[in-house]
Amino acid sequence: MKKSAMLLTAIMMVIVLALSACGGGGNSEGSKDQNKGNTNTQNEGKDGTGNATIRFATWDTGEALKIQQEIAKKFEAAHPGIKVQVEPYGDGFDQKLAAGFGASNPPDVMYMWDFPTYYKSLEPLDGFVEKDETLQIDDFYPGLFAYNKVEGNLYGLPAGFTTRVFYYNKKLFDDAGIPYPQDGWSWDDMKAIAQKLTDKSKKQYGIGVRADNDTYDLQGFVWSNGSSLISDDGKAIEGYMNSKETAEAIGVLGQAVKEGYGVLVGGKNQQSGDDIFKAGKIAMWESGIWPLEGFKEAGIDVGTVEPPVFPGKDVKGVLAQSAVSIAKDSKHKEAAWEFVKFYVSEEAIKMRTADLPIRISIVEEKGFKEDALYKPFYTMLERSSNAPAFLLHPNWSQINRNLSVAVEAIMLGNNPQEMLDQAVKESEKFLK
Amino acid sequence: MDRTPQGWIRRGLQLPRKSIRFKLLTFFLVVAIIPLLSLGFLSYRTSSDLLHVQFGKYGENAVSQLQYQIDAQLRQMRLTAEYIHSYLLDPTKSVITEEVPKSYSQIQEKNNLEDFLKALKTEMHAGVFIVTKSGYFYGENTLMPDVLRQESWWTGISPEFRGQYWTGLYETHHYRADYRDASRKVMGLVVPIRNKEGPLKESSILIEMEADDIYDQLKRFERDMVASLTIRNSAGKVIYDSLGDREPQTDDVIWSQPLAENDWTVEARLPYETFYQSSNVIRSYTVIGLALSVLLALILAVWLASKFTSRIKRVKDSMNKAGAGKLQTRIEVDSEDELGVLGRSFNNMVAQIQTLLDEVTRTEQQKKEAELRAIHYQINPHLLFNTLNSIQWKARLQGNEDIRKMLYHLTMVLEGNLDITQELVTVERELAMIDHFLHIQRIRYGDMFSYEVDVDQGAAEALIPRMSLQPLFENIFFHGFEDGEGLITLKLQAEQELLRLTLQDNGRGMTEERARALLNPGSKRTTRGGLGVANVDQKFKLHFGPQYGLSIESTPEQGTSIMIVWPRKESASHE
Repeated sequence: MKKSAMLLTAIMMVIVLALSACGGGGNSEGSKDQNKGNTNTQNEGKDGTGNATIRFATWDTGEALKIQQEIAKKFEAAHPGIKVQVEPYGDGFDQKLAAGFGASNPPDVMYMWDFPTYYKSLEPLDGFVEKDETLQIDDFYPGLFAYNKVEGNLYGLPAGFTTRVFYYNKKLFDDAGIPYPQDGWSWDDMKAIAQKLTDKSKKQYGIGVRADNDTYDLQGFVWSNGSSLISDDGKAIEGYMNSKETAEAIGVLGQAVKEGYGVLVGGKNQQSGDDIFKAGKIAMWESGIWPLEGFKEAGIDVGTVEPPVFPGKDVKGVLAQSAVSIAKDSKHKEAAWEFVKFYVSEEAIKMRTADLPIRISIVEEKGFKEDALYKPFYTMLERSSNAPAFLLHPNWSQINRNLSVAVEAIMLGNNPQEMLDQAVKESEKFLK
Repeated sequence: MDRTPQGWIRRGLQLPRKSIRFKLLTFFLVVAIIPLLSLGFLSYRTSSDLLHVQFGKYGENAVSQLQYQIDAQLRQMRLTAEYIHSYLLDPTKSVITEEVPKSYSQIQEKNNLEDFLKALKTEMHAGVFIVTKSGYFYGENTLMPDVLRQESWWTGISPEFRGQYWTGLYETHHYRADYRDASRKVMGLVVPIRNKEGPLKESSILIEMEADDIYDQLKRFERDMVASLTIRNSAGKVIYDSLGDREPQTDDVIWSQPLAENDWTVEARLPYETFYQSSNVIRSYTVIGLALSVLLALILAVWLASKFTSRIKRVKDSMNKAGAGKLQTRIEVDSEDELGVLGRSFNNMVAQIQTLLDEVTRTEQQKKEAELRAIHYQINPHLLFNTLNSIQWKARLQGNEDIRKMLYHLTMVLEGNLDITQELVTVERELAMIDHFLHIQRIRYGDMFSYEVDVDQGAAEALIPRMSLQPLFENIFFHGFEDGEGLITLKLQAEQELLRLTLQDNGRGMTEERARALLNPGSKRTTRGGLGVANVDQKFKLHFGPQYGLSIESTPEQGTSIMIVWPRKESASHE
């Protein structure tokens, strides 16, 4: 009798335990994680470089992100005691970064391009650069640093870059018996070729025109036509952003759509230009280095050429750069510097495929300057000496909103001059 | 012996009635098993009831938790839609067009609206859009409206519908492949814009939230609870259903929880067997436990019963032996309990029986001896009496009166003495015979002694063994008196049950040792007279019991007093 009572008690206890375990499972796990977090911060507080976990925020996703994670792993292997936590912010990069700075809890290392907006939250790197000869600062393309300096201080090291060129589908040219474009070709040449290569019955067009352009990218054309979006001293846009040359430089794209030898891509209801080019439905496509691998994979026989020139003027390029910076609030600046240095080292740069190497030695080693496909990117790097607008005025992002509206309207067939005039009119208030 | 199966069964059925061991065993088992079974049943019922209540509550809570989480998501969607709605109600937004925006201000408003939508979009949102009638949409460039317009849930929305249309839980094919995987689940909300006027009047707000988490939770719930889940709206449309092929049974355990945000109801169904599975486990454990305990009880009962009954059996066997005549049988007594006392009493009893039996055997033998002796002494009385009568006549003829009288009295005494047909005679008759004896003595010694008789009234009718007084009188004359000179007093007192006879003389008396020796029949006979006293004593004892008989008090040179006590009995013939 006693035996059965004990047995029953035992069974009941097992059941009760099981039930309470089910109920409490979540909580205990949660608190465990919390503890983990606590110990980490304690460790970090104790030791500046020894045992540290540094957070690295990136805007990349997909393949590019995987490469960055591999770089982080290699760094960890070479630097025992430092852990790198890669945080892919993706589309929400700006918001999350701003939130991190606002909460004084930013990632230690982050991708950076918009130095005028963030430089106050970033650690100046000049001291590190001077101290650390292993960085080999002379091996970097000097033009890259212009973008990363605010008020004479260096806030980021370039990790990768691209300039913009014209891709062309050799097969379409060959089929039409048209010679490939050569550097120094003009916009008129472009128009003539595009018209010839447009066959609306096959939904084939001479050139793809973005519906939603980034005004930053269009600056190369504006500069090539001898104008700019803002005065060099950053004080005026009237006569710059809405100059005749600016209107003409942007207008050529709208005109291509309007006159039918260009097609709008990438907006709502449309495929992206990269995809259409891959499908062989556009002959010419202006872009950076990013889609090149995809074109090759898609089996497109692709060629590259410098963008066209406006008559009698030099072609100018615009540089898109990924830099890495250290947050001013970082608690592990030494460790962060080690990671930044590794990230721009020869080993890491060679692992990157989505953009172009920033080190002269690697470019020479790989013979990019001799490779017809890559050569235009480096010749355009030499032509990218103009200062982009966002470096010249702190309120540029507000001005840019209006400019973007104007550009979008131009692509949709509106008069370029009128649209730009309106944008300037509405943006004057931001200059004061 | 009956060796047929029926015989075995009959004997098997008889056994219980015969064996105390079986009865004890049954008793122990009943005593152990009844509480065991009731306790087992009770604890099974209590624990399984408790378990059901707990499990039921757990299930309810789990469903409530699901409901809460779905509600939280739905609420966020509803709030997002309401924000957008209030944004659009602002009259300055009237530039927003249904068609593709073309003018500067249209594009500007589009950008503002899209910025607003983007700001509303969280990680949990798959998409936040305003889809116009023409097929244009505002929002991030991730939607494929052509695909959207072919989705059945989208076309199912009536153009007249107003309010919140919850599109359910589904996979998305209407997003660009590079944006999100079509197999990921979303929950959708469509709110047709209520503007009576204005360009967006027939547009709809479309909000879709990532539902993979909720979907996982539903799946986890199903796995953990082994239940199937169904979410339905009030119209009975199935939003989510994991019932699959299983037909809903009427005895399913059902937890149902309506959502607070919309008309959906979360319903979890658990097959009856699954719900009661755990109590079945308890039941089997209880049954196993009970079986083990019953087995234990059985073993204990057998052991206890055999321990008790083996001792009882020993007593029984000893009794059987003693009953069969082996009176030397004794029970080994090794305890002080009732069985020990019983054994000891039995031993005493057997010992007593043995003594009694010896006594009886001895008495019987004595009687036989006496009878033999009596036969030995039996002379033909007729010869004796006829001879005595002849002598008497001769004496009368010769005129010797003394001899004739002596012969007469002797005849009378002998008559009493030789009549062996009656062992018990009345006191009256015995005293009459004593008178004849005394007449003889008076003739012999002359009138030298006096004799006083005092008999209580009614005592004369009482019975006394024959010839029991005469030897005593004879002793007085031969041993007590010198030449027949003295005083004899006979006193017979009748008490309620007893007669007390005191015979006293004032003769020579005797020592105490001699008086004791007189009553002991086994002692060496020194004089003739001694035997008579002992025989008289034996006569009383034989007739009435060992507690009766003679006692002698004597003082040398003073006299002797003999006292006889025997029970008072009346002669049957006198009644």
